[in-house]
Amino acid sequence: MITVSKVSKKYALSRKQQHELQTADTTVFAVNDVSFECKPGSIYSLLGPNGAGKTTTLRMIATLLHPTQGTIQVNGHDVVENSQEVRKTIGFLTGSTNLYDRLTPLETVKYFADLHKMPEALFRQRKDQLFTQLGINDFLNKRIGQLSTGMKQKVSIARTMIHNPDVVIFDEPTSGLDVITANNIISLIRDCKSEGKTVIFSSHIMSEVDLLCDELSIIHKGRIIYADTMDAFRAISHGKSLTETFINIVQSNK
Amino acid sequence: MNTILTIIRKELKDSLRDRKTLISAVLMPALAVPLLILGITKLQQRLNDKERNKQLKVVLYNAPAALQSLFTDPKIQLINNIPLNQAKDSVSAESYDAILDFAPGFEKSIDSLQAGTLSFYFKSTNEIVEKRINEKLELYKSAILSARFSKLNLSQGMLKPLDVHTMDVASTKEQIGVLLGGFIPYFFILFCYLGCMYPAIDMLTGEKEKGTIETLLTVPASRFSILMGKMIAIAIIGVCAAIMTMSGMFMVVRLSNGIPPEILKAISDILSVKFILMLFAMLIPLSIFFAGILSAVAIRASTFKEAQSYVTPMSFVVIIPAVIALMPGMKLTWETSWIPILNIALATKEIVSGTIKNLQYLLIVFSLIAFAGIAVLLSIRQFSNEKNILK
Repeated sequence: MITVSKVSKKYALSRKQQHELQTADTTVFAVNDVSFECKPGSIYSLLGPNGAGKTTTLRMIATLLHPTQGTIQVNGHDVVENSQEVRKTIGFLTGSTNLYDRLTPLETVKYFADLHKMPEALFRQRKDQLFTQLGINDFLNKRIGQLSTGMKQKVSIARTMIHNPDVVIFDEPTSGLDVITANNIISLIRDCKSEGKTVIFSSHIMSEVDLLCDELSIIHKGRIIYADTMDAFRAISHGKSLTETFINIVQSNK
Repeated sequence: MNTILTIIRKELKDSLRDRKTLISAVLMPALAVPLLILGITKLQQRLNDKERNKQLKVVLYNAPAALQSLFTDPKIQLINNIPLNQAKDSVSAESYDAILDFAPGFEKSIDSLQAGTLSFYFKSTNEIVEKRINEKLELYKSAILSARFSKLNLSQGMLKPLDVHTMDVASTKEQIGVLLGGFIPYFFILFCYLGCMYPAIDMLTGEKEKGTIETLLTVPASRFSILMGKMIAIAIIGVCAAIMTMSGMFMVVRLSNGIPPEILKAISDILSVKFILMLFAMLIPLSIFFAGILSAVAIRASTFKEAQSYVTPMSFVVIIPAVIALMPGMKLTWETSWIPILNIALATKEIVSGTIKNLQYLLIVFSLIAFAGIAVLLSIRQFSNEKNILK
């Protein structure tokens, strides 16, 4: 369960940034008064163009950034006050994340299991399950630098899921991946849902959102400009393409 | 604690598999000093030998017979019948090496116990020529002197009123301390810094650049433990680089020929357990100091290149105190004991000589630990700033 209430993230602008953005303001809101809730067993999607505030929101949920205002709770724990508890329950995967090239898949996954303080027996059981499911056993002792993008993606998934998190956060997880590789992620997200996990993912690709999510928010310039169930969103499209509806919503809020 | 150990293990494994770290922390420090010393001495010897054995082309004008006979040498070719101006041009053009032009009446002056005048033309760009010709002139001079002494019935002692017996009471160890004591810290401080440099960039800026830091910071480990793990791993690599430097230095001393046995013995005495322990007690905080400073800088950079552009000029800041310690007359005092890098360099000199005062040594260790602590705090501050850790 993720509860985001009235969350804002404000950044101070340097002179250079002020000049680049052609503004006299000394601060800028990356996220402005955002509230939503993600429930266990369902998939929540944050949809928005580049720079809308999706990554900042997810980073705040993942305890990487502190909100300037508002509160975020993950499974009842506050992300600022009780960040260690939050981190125990989350898995975080981003599309831009790389792995340690000089380690092997087994060493990488073991490293993260150790950081999560997993008991050895539990680690083995979980690792065997994930490695078999993802087909990592064929290359588990090869250096990651020598693996293909698809193989790396599988290792990333195993690393994110090794401690069996209740809440999984995906930040544009398929960006830069081909359709076949992206499909690994799509199945992972579906599996998480069927296992009753809370799933939130950000994307700017409507087809992906359409395929997976139960609820969505459209975020633009740091604010949520649309929030409803996926079914309701489909209904307002009136037979038009969903991407077109998404673009219309964003443009009418310029 | 377990988290810190997990991080250290992973970082060391990761770094040891990296060719760049291996080169900068193991290979370079181990080979640099031996190659430098062996290379330079060999090269110098070869050049010297070449110049020594080269046949010199010398032109003599109005030379007395006694001198001419001294120049009858297979390594000297005497050129005759050439005008002085042309000979001078040839020396400038380096086709001839030297000219000795004896003034008219030279022999007369010598016979009348006066100073004889002669002009010696050479090119100062070639030191060996000057040296070789002067050696011949010295021989000629002593021949004249002994002839004069016997003519005047004087004893040789006339010219040497003082017969000084010099007794150096400095032990071989102390002499080596002055000679080598400055160079040892210069090299190990430099390589300790260079050894820390690359891993610091790789472990901090590298994680940021690759984006792995985001995932690392979402594990239930405090940022403090993550940073400590990384800093300790950097410091271990720095200490390892310093050890490699010293091993390389002592290997070259052991293996090179022509070192008198008393010096070899003094060097083995220097390498006592006490020396090694005393050195380590300074080296460890120094390495942590470097790790802290380098981490603080590397965290702020968002790309490898940016980090490199910050830390490479910093190596000059590290070298300067080590060079100051090499200056003659630079001594360890209560004031210099506080200055990091300079204090470790001066203290090593004194430890090698065996003249360090216990209290001063403790003060240095304490000061190094304090500076290491400040550097670590600085780095923690940078690491806690969310602006620095995410790209």
